[in-house]
Amino acid sequence: MFVQFFYSMKEAGIPVSPTSFLTLHKAMNRGLVNSLDDLYIAARAILVKSERHFDLYDQIFAYTFEGAELPDIEDLENEFLAKGMLDEWLKNPKVLAASLGLNEKELQRMSPGELIEYFKQRLRDQKGRHDGGSKWIGTGGTSPVGHSGFHPGGMRVGGISRNLSAVKVAEERRYKGYSADGPLTLRSMGEAMKRLRHLVPEGVKDRINVDASIYQTIKNGGEIEIVFDRGIVDRLKIILVIDNGGWSMDPYIGIVQILFQYAKAQFKDLKTYFFHNTVYDLLWEDPQRYRKPVRIDDFDKLDPDTRMIFVGDASMAPYELMAADGSISSFVRSGKPSIQRLKYLSDMFGHTIWMNPIPQNNWQGTYSINVIRNIIPMFELSLDGLEKAVKYLMQKG
Amino acid sequence: MDTNRFTGSTKYILDQELAKIVNISMVLEMPLLLKGEPGTGKTMLAHAIADSLQMRLIILNVKSNMKLIEALYQYDTLTRLNDSRFGDSQRNVSDIHEYLKMGKIGQAFTAGERCVLLIDEIDKAETEFQDDMLDVLDQMQFDIIETDDVVKAAHRPVIIITSNAKRDLSDPFLGRCNFHHIAFPDPKMMRNIVDVHFSDIPKKLAENAIAIFYQLRDLEGIEKKPATRELINWIRALSADPDFREGDQIQKEIPYLGVLFKKSGDYQKSADTVLKKRFFRN
Repeated sequence: MFVQFFYSMKEAGIPVSPTSFLTLHKAMNRGLVNSLDDLYIAARAILVKSERHFDLYDQIFAYTFEGAELPDIEDLENEFLAKGMLDEWLKNPKVLAASLGLNEKELQRMSPGELIEYFKQRLRDQKGRHDGGSKWIGTGGTSPVGHSGFHPGGMRVGGISRNLSAVKVAEERRYKGYSADGPLTLRSMGEAMKRLRHLVPEGVKDRINVDASIYQTIKNGGEIEIVFDRGIVDRLKIILVIDNGGWSMDPYIGIVQILFQYAKAQFKDLKTYFFHNTVYDLLWEDPQRYRKPVRIDDFDKLDPDTRMIFVGDASMAPYELMAADGSISSFVRSGKPSIQRLKYLSDMFGHTIWMNPIPQNNWQGTYSINVIRNIIPMFELSLDGLEKAVKYLMQKG
Repeated sequence: MDTNRFTGSTKYILDQELAKIVNISMVLEMPLLLKGEPGTGKTMLAHAIADSLQMRLIILNVKSNMKLIEALYQYDTLTRLNDSRFGDSQRNVSDIHEYLKMGKIGQAFTAGERCVLLIDEIDKAETEFQDDMLDVLDQMQFDIIETDDVVKAAHRPVIIITSNAKRDLSDPFLGRCNFHHIAFPDPKMMRNIVDVHFSDIPKKLAENAIAIFYQLRDLEGIEKKPATRELINWIRALSADPDFREGDQIQKEIPYLGVLFKKSGDYQKSADTVLKKRFFRN
């Protein structure tokens, strides 16, 4: 079972090494691991070396030792419904409580996260047996968990409740926000910033540093050594082109903008434009896509070395991309199909990429994503994707 | 081994998970690498361990241009040269050992009993430094080149390494450490932390201050979020002010934002938000 545990981690992409696996066994032999809780903690501390993988670890741990379900569609649906119920509850607790036949007071004691779980539980129950609303109460016993209280040794143990079993803790998925795959969140902003920091060009080592050369030469006892410095290169210009059309993009627009705004100092120039679904004749400077249009044809006046970064889900009907008059907004009259426009832009700017918040394994199924990918290199809008994207943007030529 | 088990200390609030990880690392004699936002108490942990196990704490503050040798030992050539020319010191110039001084890691190795070695902010240093240092810590010995002596650790120190994740650590480095990421404390935990620092502030002040603190932390677009240290200072400021000491007033207005937000942009943003809130409430 442990070997399988180890390999499922490896397969899932956590870089685990055999040495650390042996260390874990050493820990077990020393009597350090006496329960599932201990195993959860020990295995994580020894095997997993980055908080980015904690979430994956949690999932694999829960899966291996409890057979917790890996997320399935129905669960996602429930999650969506439960979120809706939570919103409803926040707006009007009485009405919702009454309509479900629940005790309002009881619900009030729970945190939003617990409420979601509670609702989900109810929804699952509801699917199982259809014996009326009143039966909904009291199955879960989702009483908000209290504090772990005091350590037997009289030591203070605070905060995070440990009344839950290790598997439950793993199922909580506390590290979701730190996960490396999965779309960027506000929480992973710091990590994302770090990756963006590499978006600075390096000059060629072709300037002689006279002072250092003299110093080194003297140090060598007269043997001449010439020290070179990197030539100074101008900072990059960045154009950010964001799809702020459909609601699917909403969560990411702010994040991407904040991210690049923070990093602004390291760029020479940062421009942001908006579009809906795909690009036709115009991009807009204002998020409403109304007041300040900019013609694509005018972009040829810009520095071709500018890095152009599209952010969008690239999901649309094929004709929007291919037809000569494909725009779904009727007033955008374009003579050329969008696909040609995208090609024009990517030809003009040698370094153009597309960041997509949709997870990469789902790209295959969408026609428009595949078409755009052929023209513009596409990266996932995740920490890993960002890292690759930055690497691509920094390539020479 | 039971006497050497770490359970927490009076000034440090520990969750059980971390306590277990510390204990595992101590038994396996592996360094423990701690990552996390500033203000989650990474550095404090080493202090707490040293405190509660009554061991000596040796701190190596890593600097960006640090060479490994500085952390191990120093050979003071200048003083020796000076002594040999003027000869007015008590030292025996012909004995090189008089001029060897142990660095922090050296001190930890030569200490008479087991001690806690805190290597703070490892990520500031170059990757080579990190790898070389891990070699030394792995073998628990190093050479003094000048005398060809080998310094061996008499007692393996408990090693805590902290990182603010400024740059990624190398794989071999990670392979030799145990790892833990300290998440930012949740409000309940924070309440305990505040209690440890202030034994006698009004309950209301603590509760309100923490609630507002988390609201402010969640403001969108804040570049440097206030951390535990800022909260503690803020509460100190509040409890020194007779207007706010009781804790009712801060629900109406929020003073001393400068204690919480250290970047001008953040300060402006938070001040705007606070102002807006007040406006809509009245």
